[in-house]
Amino acid sequence: MKHVLLLLFGTVCVGGIDVPDVGILVDPSGSLRPVQGVAGNFLVGVPAALGILSAACAERLCLAKTDSKILSAGGETDAPPGPAIFGLDGKEAIVYFLETHSFARWRDGVLDPLDWAVDGEVLSIRVRDGTAEIAVRREEDAWIIRPDGAVVAWIALTRGPVLLLTDGVLFAMADSIVFRRADGAEFRFSLPGTNSIAQMGPHYAAVRAGALTYALRTDAGRERLFLLPAAQGEAP
Amino acid sequence: MRSALALLALPLLARAQIALLQMNGSTEVPIGSALNLGKVAAGDTLSVRLRVRNTGSAKADITRFSADGAGFTLDRPSLPFTVAPGSVQDVLLNFRGLTLATYSANLQLVSSANSISTIVIASVVTGAEVTVFPVCRGSDGPPPTIDFGRVQAGQRHLCNFNLRNPGTQEMTVSTFQATGSGFQIFSGPQPPFKLAAGSTASFMVSFAPEAAGVYTGALIIDARSYVLTGVAFDAPFPKPLIEFDSGAFQSAQQRHLTIRLPTAATSSASGSVSLAFLPDTKLVPDDPAVVFLATGTRSLPISISQGSTQFTISGQASAMFQTGTSSGKIRFMLSGILSDGDPTTTVTIPASSMALDTATATKRAGNLDIQATGYDNTYSAGSMSFTFFDGSGKTIPPGAIQADFTQDFRAFFTRTQSGSAFQVRVSFPVAGDASGIAGVDARFTNAVGGNTQHLVFQ
Repeated sequence: MKHVLLLLFGTVCVGGIDVPDVGILVDPSGSLRPVQGVAGNFLVGVPAALGILSAACAERLCLAKTDSKILSAGGETDAPPGPAIFGLDGKEAIVYFLETHSFARWRDGVLDPLDWAVDGEVLSIRVRDGTAEIAVRREEDAWIIRPDGAVVAWIALTRGPVLLLTDGVLFAMADSIVFRRADGAEFRFSLPGTNSIAQMGPHYAAVRAGALTYALRTDAGRERLFLLPAAQGEAP
Repeated sequence: MRSALALLALPLLARAQIALLQMNGSTEVPIGSALNLGKVAAGDTLSVRLRVRNTGSAKADITRFSADGAGFTLDRPSLPFTVAPGSVQDVLLNFRGLTLATYSANLQLVSSANSISTIVIASVVTGAEVTVFPVCRGSDGPPPTIDFGRVQAGQRHLCNFNLRNPGTQEMTVSTFQATGSGFQIFSGPQPPFKLAAGSTASFMVSFAPEAAGVYTGALIIDARSYVLTGVAFDAPFPKPLIEFDSGAFQSAQQRHLTIRLPTAATSSASGSVSLAFLPDTKLVPDDPAVVFLATGTRSLPISISQGSTQFTISGQASAMFQTGTSSGKIRFMLSGILSDGDPTTTVTIPASSMALDTATATKRAGNLDIQATGYDNTYSAGSMSFTFFDGSGKTIPPGAIQADFTQDFRAFFTRTQSGSAFQVRVSFPVAGDASGIAGVDARFTNAVGGNTQHLVFQ
């Protein structure tokens, strides 16, 4: 109790006030743009990088892929050409390169190849409890499998994009987006023509449908689909 | 054989041939040995367009082209001038006489190819005088013109006239008509009719355009004609209604905007809808998040089709916009749409207490951290209170700890100019064992009120 009293009589300080970060997105021109704000009030910033093919962002790590590099806050890493799929895991990531059909682990700016070969079109990657899980499409079915090929779950009969999240899976049907939580709860948002789904930040997924980009909030109990303002401004 | 060769060669010789024609609109009418210009009111100028056409295969040099006779003049290029094969040269033959009589002139054209001679005749008569009432504007010309001004499409505009015989003889008016789309004699004497010397007859001409546009016509009274002009414009719409999806307005909303007319549009139209934001606070001049989402801008094109009540906005039935994170007023304005009444619509974003989007409490070595994201649409945030609890839920003395970061928030709002959304981390340095602290009630307060979050340390 004495220590607690010491604590409560100690100094209170504000550690910084900033515009809230929501995450990042890749706009149709390949510019990486920061997204800021709060639910229902978003600001899409000027490009932070150009020539981006893929990007993902979580609580502790954001990665982006150019044609030949992986960009992070710490610098650049040489990488196989083409777009990539990121499975973020704390400060590490599993990366799948779509053109070379190869997996690698990214850690501290270094890529270590992984000798994984999966059957099907790789759609998304996540790491849960230290274990990688991969969403793949076989025929028109989307599945969740492990790198050794073991099937974890069937997702849906869909030709649309899929995003694996730590506590669920987000996938597109012809006329809607479905967010299925690990506990089985399912949320459906009417949205035809979804082109892509990406992990925008720790609480949001970026969903692109036609010319519009949406932010789907994935926090438990606060699931909601917002429309993001169209990006304005060029790179400084 | 030689003569046969000569015959064959004849068609190959290049020859010019000049023809003189009278233009009736765009139609060429050959002129014979005489050209009758008809009746011309005394003092009026009659102009007739003539055309010189070279129908041959060689150029023709025009060395003489004249109208020799009192009252006749010819507006033509200086002599000599050349008309290329297949080409034309238009000229104006004018006549004006003051004395009542029949006039004639010898119209002569001499070219390197052939010559043409024609007798031109015109009769000067007493012309009826037309008085235009002030509701329509007239000009003496030439040509004399009567302007009906701007008239709404579908409506009728009338002009009153007096027709007077200024002569000393009775006048018979045989031709009395209005030509041209939208124009007609609305009331007055039916031709032929007589006008006694010095007498006056009244008549009205109507201009009733069916669609927007520029109109021209003619009022023809025997030897006199007047150009009629008018402009028609579409009827203004009834005041458009700018409407929103249901629910009270507040900050951090994404709302739908629609625009409609109370009655079907009488014509198609297009314009734009724009919004402007006026914050209540003086701390920031604007809130950049208040935009139409589809474009990230504050203006969108709108259009409506004839017969419809619904405007499309950027081609869609509705448009979404953000309300931002500042209390104030969002004003929606239309431009390019002519309407009865100003459709500008203003919505009020009321001041509200602190809004927290997320809040967490975490422990790290030497510190307890409370992080929150939210917004303060009054820009008065900064007052905070923290009450810590132990594992049994009991308040840890001394109870609520007050803090005031108002100046920090003001500096942040002023620096970022990006609305009032914020993320803040408040830290409590730990001098001892903090394991007994299980939770905290964090209260964030602004000018309107507070928001308390009960947080469990993770």
